Amino acid sequence: MGSDTGDDAYSDIHLRALNCEVNPLTRSDGSAMLTQGETAVIASVYGPVEVKTQNLQIENATLDVCYRPKTGLPTITDRSRENVIKRICETAILTALHPRTSIVVVIQELENRSGLEACAVNAVCLALLNGGIAMKFTVAGVHSILKENDEIVLDPDSKESINALAHFTFVFDSLQRNVVAVNTQGKFNMAQYNDALTICRAASGKIFEFYREIISKRPV
Amino acid sequence: MAEQYKLIHPSKYYRDYLNVNIRPDGREFDKLRPNAINVGSITTADGSAIVKVGNTNVVCGIRAELAKPKASTPDQGFLVPTIELTPLCSPKYRTGSSNEDAELYSAALNDILINADCLDLKKLCIYKEKLVWCLYCDISCLDHDGCVIDASLIAVIAALRNLKLPKVSYDAEIEKISVDTSIRESIEVKSSPVSTTLMVFDDNVIITDPTAEEESLSSCILTIAVCNGEVCYILKPGGTPFNSEQMDLCIKRALAREKSVLKLLNNVLK
Amino acid sequence: MSAVLVPGEAVSEIEEVAKTKKVVLGPGLRRTNDSVLACKAGVLCKKAPNMFWIDSYQRRYVPVRGECVLGVVTQKAGDIFRVDIGAHEQACLSYLAFEGATKKNRPDIQLGDLLYARLVVASRDLEPELVCVNSHGKKEKLGVLNDGFVFNCSINLVRKILNKNCPLLQALQREMPFEVAVGMNGRIWIKAKTMRETIAVGNAILATEFVSNDDIRKLCENIGNILFT
Repeated sequence: MGSDTGDDAYSDIHLRALNCEVNPLTRSDGSAMLTQGETAVIASVYGPVEVKTQNLQIENATLDVCYRPKTGLPTITDRSRENVIKRICETAILTALHPRTSIVVVIQELENRSGLEACAVNAVCLALLNGGIAMKFTVAGVHSILKENDEIVLDPDSKESINALAHFTFVFDSLQRNVVAVNTQGKFNMAQYNDALTICRAASGKIFEFYREIISKRPV
Repeated sequence: MAEQYKLIHPSKYYRDYLNVNIRPDGREFDKLRPNAINVGSITTADGSAIVKVGNTNVVCGIRAELAKPKASTPDQGFLVPTIELTPLCSPKYRTGSSNEDAELYSAALNDILINADCLDLKKLCIYKEKLVWCLYCDISCLDHDGCVIDASLIAVIAALRNLKLPKVSYDAEIEKISVDTSIRESIEVKSSPVSTTLMVFDDNVIITDPTAEEESLSSCILTIAVCNGEVCYILKPGGTPFNSEQMDLCIKRALAREKSVLKLLNNVLK
Repeated sequence: MSAVLVPGEAVSEIEEVAKTKKVVLGPGLRRTNDSVLACKAGVLCKKAPNMFWIDSYQRRYVPVRGECVLGVVTQKAGDIFRVDIGAHEQACLSYLAFEGATKKNRPDIQLGDLLYARLVVASRDLEPELVCVNSHGKKEKLGVLNDGFVFNCSINLVRKILNKNCPLLQALQREMPFEVAVGMNGRIWIKAKTMRETIAVGNAILATEFVSNDDIRKLCENIGNILFT
């Protein structure tokens, strides 16, 4: 199910190879294992399921996101990842369709070779699509780094990202390619930010195409 | 009537104000609340600051302790910011149980301090592999009226610049630590990042420096930190999708704030 | 095969039709202002002249009024039974909703019983409610199912085997006699003469998920040949 062939519009954009296994977990309502290069994440979705009374919302479904690191207990960084993914899902999912229920998203990190957050967002999106959860739009996460001489490297592997001056992780929606979420590390100026944004936005198209490819391959 | 209207239709009440280009507290969309800083008010701490951003009130005290460095970074000290949100500051927090907001704010603050390269952690080293300073920045929020990260960041920077560490010498041969509290030196704070929290109402109005009430009505909250005219942190965790112009506007507003806050900081710490 | 849709996409085909006549939007489609958007990923289906929906893969059941489901009685609470139908909430079933039931003559239902029932209330704001009678007070095929074997499958598989064009059940019938109750909530109950046959029927149903109609016939013949030779 690889997707290394871009069409002409994106021919100069190089993302690491995307591979996805659809519904690798038999018990969950929807799941996806996504690898981007050597970074791998497995995401699973249950929903809509029963909600705990304390989290019950009268008008919306409650989202319950759980991020599990590769080893050990979740750290503070993992908690903030969890929070970002939760907010992204809240934006993307039509929560008003299932009031007083909960949608549970579980993310298991398998391997982090840079670009983990972006890979996790994409895996969650694929899991939501597989689980038949109603969404306003799909989202695509793209990671890039800033190197010396204002050079922006798109979706670097772990070796390339060693000497990064700054990291950018953008999440785009599939409608207008607007920015749903941003997370940055390191210092940069506005021009550098805009460069990274432009490159990542263009690259998000490849990910959206990948989603479509995965869905059309799925026998219904 | 206004009170009841606000209670029943908080969003609508707010929207009515925004339609005439003003916020309920009389500010325009991009106007900041007045800030106030007081440093060194906690005498028992090694460095401290109290910061007010509108009604938001945070206290930061720095406690310096001697510690053994990590094996992976033998010549670096530690800077540990922790934000505490108690029921004192807002009814939405409860005692005891771990607080998600506090964890997230602390993580964001830590990221900003690292990204902006505020302190040279190597300067906190007293003796390589044996002894370093560990600076615990405990931030307590007394009143939560929005933008706690912004206030906390100002407080940490002010407290760091106010910090005076006693002279410590270490004799490696007999492993003896001698502390001379009569001589106290400040440390070099390389940069002073300033963060700005913005929110979006109804998916289209961008509002700077929101109060807690405004935050609760928002469709998106984002935090941008800047440092010497460069951006050093952007966190937009979901919410309303932004086009490039909206994001540019947010960054511009954040850059504009830096000067005024730095001026205030420099005045206070003169 | 028609177009594959991803959530957020506008469906211009429907918008075209909507210009001249009313359209009915089924699952996976929603309207915002003047455009029709997909909200689930899958294939756009059309039933002439004006019905549209998206066929998407789903495992979790969302109650829909009028559908027949298989549920397990989990609780007896006063006048009602609580029934697990695999949705986000347990459904309720009044003890009067059985054929011939009166206040004095209660139906004999035990905890853990398997029921085939119809949803009469299924709204996102209300608790789902089941009945085991039709509108004339007759039980028809509804009620408690005894013996047999239940298993879960995806909602798509249920839709597929209940489709008029699906040859599975007819082809299987030709090979051996059995009873089957298919719940729209992704649960299937089967009862055949022997355990061997029950397992064969169950596996045959599960195997049809990704198989074309022609292959289904072959598959059923195969099963028959293996079982009875």
